[in-house]
Amino acid sequence: MTVDNADDSSRDERAGTSSGPTLPILNQPSSRRTALKAAGAALGLAAFGKAVSPLWSIPENVSVDEFLQQHYKELTDDEKRRVFERLEAETQRQYGKDVTISDPPPIPGVRFGYAINLSKCNGNGACMEACNQENNHHRGVDQSYIRVLEMTKGSMDMEHGTTSYDHSVPQEDKFYMPVQCQQCENPPCVTACPVEATWREDDGIVVVDYNWCIGCRYCEAACPYHARRFNWEPPEIPADEVNPDQGYLSNRIRPQGTMEKCHFCLHRTREGRLPACLEACPTGARLFGDLNDPDSDINWVLQNKRVFVLKEELGTQPNFFYFFD
Amino acid sequence: MPSMTAQKQTSLASPDAIRSYPRFLWWGLGEATNGGLGFYVWMFVLTAISLVGANAWAHQVAEGMIVTNMTDHVSWGLYIANFTFCVGLAAGGVMMVIPAYLYDDEEMHKVVIIGEAVAIAAIVMSTLSVVVDLGRPDRFWHLIPLIGRVNWPVSMLTWDVIVLNGYLLINLHIVGYLLYMRYLGRKPNPKWYVPFVFLSIIWAISIHTVTAFLYCGLGGRPFWNTALLAPRFLASAFVSGPAFIILVMRILRLTTGYAAPPGPARTLIQIIRVAMTINLVMLASEIFTLFYTGGAHGASAQYLYFGSHGHYGLVPWIWTATAFNLVGTALFFMPAALERGSIRIAACLLCIAGIWIEKGMGLIIPGFIPSTLHEIVEYSPSLVEWKVTAGIWAFGFLLLTVLLKLIATVFTGDYEAGPIRGPSSGQ
Amino acid sequence: MSGAAMQRAHSAPGSTTEPAPARDREVELPARSADSREKFTVSIRRPSGPPRVATGLTDLQGNAVTAACSTCHTTRPPDHENRRATDLDDFHSGMSFSHGTVSCLACHDERNYDALKLADGRRLAFTDVMTLCGQCHGPQMNAYNHGAHGGMTGYWDLSRGPRVKNNCIDCHDPHAPQFPKMQPTFKPRDRFLDHTRTEH
Repeated sequence: MTVDNADDSSRDERAGTSSGPTLPILNQPSSRRTALKAAGAALGLAAFGKAVSPLWSIPENVSVDEFLQQHYKELTDDEKRRVFERLEAETQRQYGKDVTISDPPPIPGVRFGYAINLSKCNGNGACMEACNQENNHHRGVDQSYIRVLEMTKGSMDMEHGTTSYDHSVPQEDKFYMPVQCQQCENPPCVTACPVEATWREDDGIVVVDYNWCIGCRYCEAACPYHARRFNWEPPEIPADEVNPDQGYLSNRIRPQGTMEKCHFCLHRTREGRLPACLEACPTGARLFGDLNDPDSDINWVLQNKRVFVLKEELGTQPNFFYFFD
Repeated sequence: MPSMTAQKQTSLASPDAIRSYPRFLWWGLGEATNGGLGFYVWMFVLTAISLVGANAWAHQVAEGMIVTNMTDHVSWGLYIANFTFCVGLAAGGVMMVIPAYLYDDEEMHKVVIIGEAVAIAAIVMSTLSVVVDLGRPDRFWHLIPLIGRVNWPVSMLTWDVIVLNGYLLINLHIVGYLLYMRYLGRKPNPKWYVPFVFLSIIWAISIHTVTAFLYCGLGGRPFWNTALLAPRFLASAFVSGPAFIILVMRILRLTTGYAAPPGPARTLIQIIRVAMTINLVMLASEIFTLFYTGGAHGASAQYLYFGSHGHYGLVPWIWTATAFNLVGTALFFMPAALERGSIRIAACLLCIAGIWIEKGMGLIIPGFIPSTLHEIVEYSPSLVEWKVTAGIWAFGFLLLTVLLKLIATVFTGDYEAGPIRGPSSGQ
Repeated sequence: MSGAAMQRAHSAPGSTTEPAPARDREVELPARSADSREKFTVSIRRPSGPPRVATGLTDLQGNAVTAACSTCHTTRPPDHENRRATDLDDFHSGMSFSHGTVSCLACHDERNYDALKLADGRRLAFTDVMTLCGQCHGPQMNAYNHGAHGGMTGYWDLSRGPRVKNNCIDCHDPHAPQFPKMQPTFKPRDRFLDHTRTEH
């Protein structure tokens, strides 16, 4: 800093203030300083426009309708239909595939539960692959809502687990624990969301309105189960691999910059079908059903097996259970 | 540009014609863009860095946050780390307000507006840090009450948005009102700003408490899930804020001749001595609990201080912070720190840098490492993240320079020689 | 436990008195009735019948010629002492056998090698193999009947559609029933996750 100059200018200003503050630009519209300032401001604005020019690509990708779209819960049935049509058209344009976006509501009286038999799971990862395909995940990073931990027998401490094992399974001294969204009764992610873009539905499934999420990732920090995924870039999926059976709150192709998570394949399960990961499991370790039905398989497991939930001490009350034979 | 300095500004307007707020703003704009060569160079450099940051951010928005080094494992990075520090800086400004208004410290009264200006710039920086962290900034309106759909009062982030904007408005009002009255040559009416000053004291505590609650309310992150976090945030804010203000006052004295009396800086240093000691005691207590108990709860601390499973990414950061904080504190306790001089400046710089690391790279990042499934994915900011963060700081400094320039112009001795009495003496 | 009883146990809730499900390999799909209590069935995949042994010959059309087990076994006397592949002096000697210490004829019917035999000596068709397994593996059978063992596809909600379950030998080789080792083929590729450090 050149101190003297700064002082000079302040003094100049002060000299003019003896009879009240001055209006330098108004009073001297033709002064060189004012002209230079105006030029500087214009140059600055131009430079700013140039600097943020990559933003001009946004209007190409975000239509006015999308920008103004209201929260899912505020949309009328008619508005929803128009939104789904718009999304179907966008998917056709961007991914070259005709898809159908549906929005099955929760089945009244049903509360979904999932259980995994850890004595059966051998960590082969077929569930992750099925999830990737069913849910239109980014192929570039082989995204999936499931992570399978290889754990050391004799310890439930995940500190002794790893997801990056790459050998034939199962290993003698290991057991395998898939982790995905636990669909908590008391979900910390829903509490965290500042804009109510994620909420728990009546059947216990925690969903995300991908068109309302602002992408702050607070839910991802809040989730104790590493269940949430962020779309760091637009998902790449070849047209012939796009699953055309899509749900608005589930497996439709998610936009860049938003959060997503396991939704128990609600576009399938709310139609009565089993989740994709369960059908894919070659070991038959997975079990899905209605917790409100006393005769359901899942309730038989809860009553007859020794069942635990992950991180029970956090009070999240998962609807996802683990058991051993 | 030097020739511009030579241009004499003369006043032709009658006092009546200028008594309006738009004209005050216009005057402020003119005043804020007048200066010597050094001033223009400084502003030019800040503008350039801000533009680099804006450009990096625009690329991030267009191409996706893949251009950052954040991942699903470490989902918050440099932006949120910087956000946390800036909120502390803003809250720290209140440490001038409390002595001035609660303890009627006359000398502090004369310079308290500097603390408020720092608070304004810091709040703007923290808000920008959150905005650049959003995956969908185009949906920012979802956060606006009534138009959007805010998860209030449950979400701590909603609280944070509300309290940060509230604090910004309060300080803008106080600073704007005092400057305006001063500009008009009128005595500020305490009714119009003193209640806001007291509100700002409570509010300053609240912004940093809420920011701490943002993290410590997450049961799934044991490293953050400690009741000590909010007190620690406040204690460290009452070091970084005053230390920053001391530096600002030094720069002001060097560049504008706006010399504060020696009292306020001494008061601030006494505050820093106490706050930093409390901060270090709480930090030590935290570290004891984490390491003595051990287990999974100490996993992040283990990674942070000593590395874990062959990963050592944050070890240099935290030991640098520890060294800076300890040396800085020792310097603050030297009698020489009470006098103007290099020891005081060094102490301020060390503590600011130490706390920046401790609250950012040393707190936000290790909260994610190991992940909730105990996987270790390391994080170091990408070039884009550094550019954006530098841009935010440059913009903050730009704003601060403008505010301080106006303050210095209206509140310097020359100005006071006029027919106007300052607000400070009006109390 | 008879096959019918076994299958009844896992038929739809609320319809435990239903008759045994189809004996066919095909899944039976009763028309969906207006009565919501009407349920679709849970069916179990069944083996198509007795296995046949490749002879190594081809017929005039180039198809492999296979023979029924009884083709050879009717000419040889049964040996109740055979418990391992190495006990065999001829044929089958290359097969791996690892199923406890039961003898071959604990499960295979020495009177009719195209059928199986229950512990009480009753003959059992190959298609009903699960009844045979269930004699010893009661806990597994019990878990299977409640969906806690064994893969399935279809509908969790039987008022909306049927469910098909694997049978024992879909996953377990009866001669070496331990589930085979697998090589994981799919893994999310996380940025910056160090895959070289697989062991902590």
